[in-house]
Amino acid sequence: MALRITWYNEGMMERKTKKNDILLIVGLLVMALLFSMGLALYRQINTRQPVAVVRIGEAEYGRFPLDVEITETIELSNGAYNILKIENGKADITEASCPDGICVRHWAISKQNETIVCLPNQVVVEIENGEESDVDSMTN
Amino acid sequence: MNRIKKASVLAAALLLLCGLAVYFQSSRQPMRYTATFFDMFDTRTEIVGYASNEEEFTRQAELLADKLLYYHRLYDIYNDYEGISNLKTINEKAGIEPVKVEREIIELLKFGKEMYEVTDGQMNIAMGSVLRIWHDYREAGRNDPSTALIPPMESLEQAAGHTDIRQVIIDEENETVYLADAEMSLDVGSIGKGYAVQQVAEYAREIGMDSVLFSVGGNVCAVGSKPEKDLWRVGIQNPDTESNETYLRKVEIADACVVTSGNYQRYYTVNGVRYSHIIDPDTLMPAEYAASVSVVTRDSGVADALSTAVYNMPYEQGRAWVASMDGVEAMWIFGDGSIRYSDGFEDYMVQ
Repeated sequence: MALRITWYNEGMMERKTKKNDILLIVGLLVMALLFSMGLALYRQINTRQPVAVVRIGEAEYGRFPLDVEITETIELSNGAYNILKIENGKADITEASCPDGICVRHWAISKQNETIVCLPNQVVVEIENGEESDVDSMTN
Repeated sequence: MNRIKKASVLAAALLLLCGLAVYFQSSRQPMRYTATFFDMFDTRTEIVGYASNEEEFTRQAELLADKLLYYHRLYDIYNDYEGISNLKTINEKAGIEPVKVEREIIELLKFGKEMYEVTDGQMNIAMGSVLRIWHDYREAGRNDPSTALIPPMESLEQAAGHTDIRQVIIDEENETVYLADAEMSLDVGSIGKGYAVQQVAEYAREIGMDSVLFSVGGNVCAVGSKPEKDLWRVGIQNPDTESNETYLRKVEIADACVVTSGNYQRYYTVNGVRYSHIIDPDTLMPAEYAASVSVVTRDSGVADALSTAVYNMPYEQGRAWVASMDGVEAMWIFGDGSIRYSDGFEDYMVQ
């Protein structure tokens, strides 16, 4: 008699357990899915618009979104200057007071990590959040 | 109870797997990092590498940058550095006395002499007297374009009388260098950067880096390949700096270097005519055979020296000369936009 009762009880529990099992698995799977989706979404939201970041020495001078056309004269304390132009989604230095003019001759930049440097004036223009370039480097 | 346990374990494992998958995808693969420096060789230096984490990469990049800075100071002909005898010191003591210098200067000058022989004098580190005149006129011409002038040929010819590389006396035993001609000076603009990059690239290999790309002012050198045996892609710049096409060709390299000599970066203008900085030893004027010459070869110092030499040669002569060398390929871009390749150059190109 005792045996039979045990069987019966176990059988009942097995059926309930099965239902609970499934709920648990599904619940955990859904959580896992939501977690991964949330992570992917967070990553996407964090990618912002391309911007040209201008630094003079160590200090950040300004950030210029590449989709806003603007001409900015970066003036240095000693009278030196560089003229930055944002046009057609690219950043360019169009004029400068430095003796070698290498910064002026540099191509207009728009790709991630591309930079234009004016060493004499210590001015650096660098692209952040830009499209990946399809080369790792360029010869001069 | 058994079932619940099983299910929990299974679900937890799935959750863990999901998490691990995300983690693996973002963190476990070697990550790409870039370090940029501005203190060396009057230009921008970029070190691109792959490492397991940022700390490891930064540590390695700083070791490499320190080495590059060391070479920059030794090979500087314009500045003095406390406690260091460099090329400027040697130039100042020309005709006066030998200067005791570091091994790295001896090795560079020996390399320069070797390249002089190999290029039949088209690459001459003892041409400082001529180059200095051009440098001064170029600076003046850029500072005040309205009064820009080209140097008088008499001055250039007079200076050219003091460019005999045999007057560079290297005493390896005593580790000294002496310029026997008082009016001679060393200018290693054509090989210093490339040679230094080569030494630092070898150092990178020594400290266990196997996936680094250097660009020191466009002198590009690859140690190893990218992860998964991917090749490094290097653009050959368009001499037309106004164009939207920033590079004209792409090459793919691993354990090799690409150096370009061109007329579109350092120049000044006199009466509407450009005078660039690479001076042909034969004419004492800026070479005008091509807008740029790019050389691909394993050694960065060799690439630097050869690109200058070939840039100073007429195309046919340069082509034959490159063909005579093993493991060297070149590409010419001419003023009219036409492009020529040495026989094996296109093997490096991405079509």
